[in-house]
Amino acid sequence: MRLLAFIAIAGFMIAGPVAEQVFGVQSAWLRSWTMFSAIGLGVVDASFEIRQPDGALAPLDRFAMLGARRDGRLKWIDSGEELALVIKRLCTAAGQGADIRVRARQATRGGWQIIHTDTENACAD
Amino acid sequence: MPAQTDAAADWSGWRLAHAMAARFVHWAVDTEGSSRSSALIRIGLAMLFWSRWAGELLLYMDQSPAGLFLAANFFVATTLLFVGYQSRVAAVWTGAVGLAMYHYFGFQLGREPWTHHHTYLLAVSALLIALTPCGASYSLDRYLAVMRAERMGLPPPAERGNLLGLRLIVVQLSVLYFFAAFDKSGYAFSSGARIEAIFLWYYAGSDYPAIPGLAWLATLVSLAVVALEYSLAFGLPFRATRRYLLLPGLAFHAIIYVTLPVYTFSATMVLLYLAYFDADAVDRVIARLQGIGPTAGEETS
Repeated sequence: MRLLAFIAIAGFMIAGPVAEQVFGVQSAWLRSWTMFSAIGLGVVDASFEIRQPDGALAPLDRFAMLGARRDGRLKWIDSGEELALVIKRLCTAAGQGADIRVRARQATRGGWQIIHTDTENACAD
Repeated sequence: MPAQTDAAADWSGWRLAHAMAARFVHWAVDTEGSSRSSALIRIGLAMLFWSRWAGELLLYMDQSPAGLFLAANFFVATTLLFVGYQSRVAAVWTGAVGLAMYHYFGFQLGREPWTHHHTYLLAVSALLIALTPCGASYSLDRYLAVMRAERMGLPPPAERGNLLGLRLIVVQLSVLYFFAAFDKSGYAFSSGARIEAIFLWYYAGSDYPAIPGLAWLATLVSLAVVALEYSLAFGLPFRATRRYLLLPGLAFHAIIYVTLPVYTFSATMVLLYLAYFDADAVDRVIARLQGIGPTAGEETS
C-alpha cells in the first residue's frame, strides 16, 4: 500500500514538469518548475549617443536631457514602442538637426535580440 | 563456454538490479526513524504559512464569505499544525488550504502571487509532512500521549514512525532542482542573457552597467547555477555527495532570498533540507545539543 502511494505521488511530482516543460502541456493542475523564466522578458537594454559640434559622438544621459528622475518611469524601457517614444522625446529635446545614435537590444525567450543599431541617426527616422 | 558465462553475467546483473530495487523500496517506504526531524519541519511549515499569508488573511482584509471562510480555515489549520494537535490531520488541512489558495483563489480568481511556485511548494510540503510521524514529537499530541501513558503506568510512546513523507519530500526537491536546471539548459540562460535581463528588470533598469567583464560574469554565474541545480538534484539525496553540496545549496538559497522576490521559497527549501538527513542522526544531534537521550526505541550504539 505504501509502495503504491509512493509511486503514485512521486509519479505525479514528475508528471507535472514533464508535461509542461517537455511536452508543452499547460495546466493549472500540473506544476512545472520554471522559476523566473518570464521575469525580465521584454526589457530593453539601451544606450544613447549624441553628435557634438566637433563631430564626435558623446554619451547621452536621457534622464538629464529629458529632466526626468533616475528612479522614475523612464528607468525602464519595456518594449520597442516605448523605445521609439523615448527616442522621439530625445530628438525633440535635442532640437532640429540633432544626430542621436541608439543601440538597443531586447530580452526575449531566446536571449538578447537587437532592435536598434547606431548605424543611422535615430532622429532622421 | 561463452553461453554459460553470459548467463552467469545476466544472472549477476539481474541480482544486482533486484538488490538495488529492494534497497530503494526499503528506503522509500519501509524506513522507520525518529519523528523529531518531521516535527521540526511541521512547526517550520506552520511558521512559514503565517510568515507568507497571515497578514493577507487577517479577517478585515477580505470580508466576503469565501475570504472569511479561507481565513478561518487558514488560521485554525495552521495553529493546530504549529501546536501539534491532531498533527497529521492538521497537516492535510493546512495543505488543502494551501492548494485552495493556489488553485481557486490564485488560478480561478486571479489572486497573485498565489499561483507562484512558493505557494505550491508550501502546500504540497504540508501534505507530505502528513505522511510522517510529525505529531509524535514536539507537539500537543505527544504531551497528551505521554500523560495517557503515565496514567496507565506505561512507558512513554516511542518518538518514531514510518518516514514515507520525508522520502517523498526528497523526491520533490530533486524533481524541483532537476526541472529548474532543465529549464535553464539552453542558450538563453547559459549565455547569461536571462540573468542579465532579470538584473536589469529588478535593479539597473534599461541601462546596462558600464562594468568591464559583467557579461562574462553573467555567463559564469549562469553556468554555475545550472551545474549547481543539476548537482543538487542528484547529489543531495546521497550522503557521500551531500556533504559537498549542502553549503553551496544553502548559499544559493540565501543569495536568491536577498536578491530576488522569492518570498518563502528559499526558507521552505532550507527547512525541507532536513528531510535529506537520516532522521535518527538528526535526533542524535538534538539529543547532544539538549543534553537529553535519543528517542525511545532507537539503538544507542
